[in-house]
Amino acid sequence: MKKKEFKNLDLSYYYEKLENGLEVVMIPMENKKNYFITYATRFGSDITSFASKDAKKEKKYPDGIAHFLEHKMFEQEDGVDPFTFFSQTGTGSNASTSFDNTQYICYGTKNFNENLRYLINFVNSPYYTDENVEKEKGIIAEEIKMYDDVPDFKLEMRLRENLFSALPRRIDIGGSIKEINKITKEDLYNCYNNFYTPNNMFIIIVGNFNVKEASKIISEELELKENVKTPKIKEIVEKKQVRLKKDEITGNIEIPKVAFGLKQHLKDFEEYDKVDLDLYFSMITKILFGGSSTFKENAIEKNLLNNLYIDGEDAGEFKIFFLMADSNNPEELIKEIKKEINKDSLDKETFERMKKVSIANEVRISDDVSGMVRTAFNDLLYYKEVIDDRVNRIRNLNYEDLMNIFNKIDKENYASIIMKPKKRK
Amino acid sequence: MEYTKKDLGSYNIHLIKTNKFKTVTVKVIFRRKIKKEEITIRNLLTSLMVFSTKNYDSKRKLTIKAQDLYSVGIGSNNGRVGNYINTTFTLSSLNDKYTEKNNLNNAIDFLCEILFNPDIENDAFKESNVEIAKTKARSNLLSIKEDSSGYSLIRCLEEYDNKSPISYRMSGYLEDLESITGKDLYSYYKEMINKDLVDIFVLGDINEAEVLQKIKSHFKLRILKKEKPIYQLTEKKTRSKKLFVKESFNAKQTKVNIVCTCNGLNYHERTYVLPLYSVILGGGTDSKLFKEVREKHSLCYSIFAYPNRLDNVLIVQTGIDKENFKKTHELIEKNISDMKKGKIKEKEIEIAKQYFETSFDEAEEDPNSIIDIYASIEFLKSDDLETRRQKTNSVTKNELVKVAKKIKIDTIFSLEGEQNEKEGI
Repeated sequence: MKKKEFKNLDLSYYYEKLENGLEVVMIPMENKKNYFITYATRFGSDITSFASKDAKKEKKYPDGIAHFLEHKMFEQEDGVDPFTFFSQTGTGSNASTSFDNTQYICYGTKNFNENLRYLINFVNSPYYTDENVEKEKGIIAEEIKMYDDVPDFKLEMRLRENLFSALPRRIDIGGSIKEINKITKEDLYNCYNNFYTPNNMFIIIVGNFNVKEASKIISEELELKENVKTPKIKEIVEKKQVRLKKDEITGNIEIPKVAFGLKQHLKDFEEYDKVDLDLYFSMITKILFGGSSTFKENAIEKNLLNNLYIDGEDAGEFKIFFLMADSNNPEELIKEIKKEINKDSLDKETFERMKKVSIANEVRISDDVSGMVRTAFNDLLYYKEVIDDRVNRIRNLNYEDLMNIFNKIDKENYASIIMKPKKRK
Repeated sequence: MEYTKKDLGSYNIHLIKTNKFKTVTVKVIFRRKIKKEEITIRNLLTSLMVFSTKNYDSKRKLTIKAQDLYSVGIGSNNGRVGNYINTTFTLSSLNDKYTEKNNLNNAIDFLCEILFNPDIENDAFKESNVEIAKTKARSNLLSIKEDSSGYSLIRCLEEYDNKSPISYRMSGYLEDLESITGKDLYSYYKEMINKDLVDIFVLGDINEAEVLQKIKSHFKLRILKKEKPIYQLTEKKTRSKKLFVKESFNAKQTKVNIVCTCNGLNYHERTYVLPLYSVILGGGTDSKLFKEVREKHSLCYSIFAYPNRLDNVLIVQTGIDKENFKKTHELIEKNISDMKKGKIKEKEIEIAKQYFETSFDEAEEDPNSIIDIYASIEFLKSDDLETRRQKTNSVTKNELVKVAKKIKIDTIFSLEGEQNEKEGI
């Protein structure tokens, strides 16, 4: 197990890859009382079709199966509820499913060793029965309805639907009530056996714990766990262009909403290091639309904007950026967004200031247990390693590359949606 | 951690010295008795104060200044605490070690600029800025139904007791908004600065003498305050017959809120027994309601119970299909009534105690929570953390049953989803 440093952040970490491929990152923070553990698989709602090792043919599973499986991991053959196990020592536990991963977490201040061992064991012990699968359908139906009632959620879903033609993230992570009703225990075992394997999983631990003891527990529990052959997943061919450029929908809202997404093919940026490229992308978004942007100032003055939300997302070969906002004049706001991304150049002074902001942000994250879990998690997921020199990388970003990348962005490859209030009956 | 308090007559300074964090956190809290008609103007005022100042006369300039100070975080918030409204201005700055010499000093100057040098002309906040703040407030007020859980709680509390501060909408009122002028805002500003109770908390690796001197030089408040606030709301008599209210709503899910009175509790019961009671009933994934309503009967995805000790109430919230209202309501009533009959297992009590023990531990890991602890000692005369640990641990089953008997269901509110999702079932 190698000890390494997060440079400029007064923080060390340990990285290890077991022989079976399971990756482990440990970031001890001696001055904290609390800890956070995540045990994750690179299996999320993006995978609904695959050929398992025994089956020759590819099979399509119901949408939302990864999320359903996540719920059902909490069912254990010995009847002990994992929530109860953790609660006994005041430890919190939960799980979440995303497009490209599912994670199981526990966090607390006590009983670290036993909790780590238990977390690994419960995720390693699926127990699905016809009865317990059936029982979950009502619960997940309420979860799907809960999100369906949130206008921002619906708008974001619609944006993905319009940006992508084929990628499964066009569909809600939870699937639909119709689809989840088709799920069987056999489906769940198939997914579990193929994707909950050491070479597809990783563990991240941050906070107050003993590195040696944690490492020993992980070896004892996982070193001998074997992999099955990774299933074949047919490559999904996604068009470079967005599926639908302009769209209008209605929602249960009073003030109209706007969603604007840019879809970029990463092949167009091949010459750049992926980590640096993401730093540049994030800089560009902040310079154009952040708190100190002239765009924001003008849009607010012209009464075009309220509650602006900006984000980026990795989607396989693609990167998407999206903006969402409430606006009294959605058409005008979209025009302004387009004008802004088509600017000739980015302000150099703002770029330098944004470096300062980004470095400060790295320092803050390094002081926060859950913040470091998130960072290491995304690093393993998207870069396949822990990035420990971000502060230096940010310092070394240069204006020429920034402008080159900005100029390469295909600004016409966007999807925009306006959500208008439903007419009253 | 070393704590010092200085009572300067017109305000208090609380210094909490610790080297645990990479940041220094400052909170300035203004308090006064809450009045319904002041909520909207106070919200507008605080948003204007962090919008611009005399020296940074636009949101953009203010943001640029904050970014230059290594992304110093500035925020404002209005919250009701029983009979009082607390307005908090928060500053979070990196330690000079991660920035440059004097950065913290400059950050505190910046906070004082926001507090004491508002962007006014002719004794009024600038009308153009007031319009911007009003537009944002209007948009948020009009969008209040987008969060159906939040909206259903607001409506429920209005039905419960529309005279009491418990029913006040902290987002403000549209009918109060329109007539507010820049002049009104400035005179309210002077009122708040001069007459409110003021407490300043500074937490981090600080030089106490320097910080004290700095604050004294900026805070030139002169009015001596002798007010002895009473935070606890007057108890409302429980209705002799439960009030059922149903309101139709354009949504898929039905939100159910139940308000119970908890009258006649003494300090110990309210502070230590009631929180344990509510964790056992509906505190999380291990509670009675979670197990019964979600896990056993698959009726909901989330269900919570939480107390509001200053308001003398306990609230239960869940989201269900409207067809299941009767069944869900019966189950909640049954669990509340079972606890009165003493159906509380020692194990459940132990788990609830462990939950609080971890919360107390975790509170010490977050600068904001530490300040909240000292603020609650100052404002509510709460016990210190150690006493809270001991007293929580000492609670007995008898005490819990005694409190359970005083929990009485008063109002049951259902925000009924009109859209029926029978798809695929």
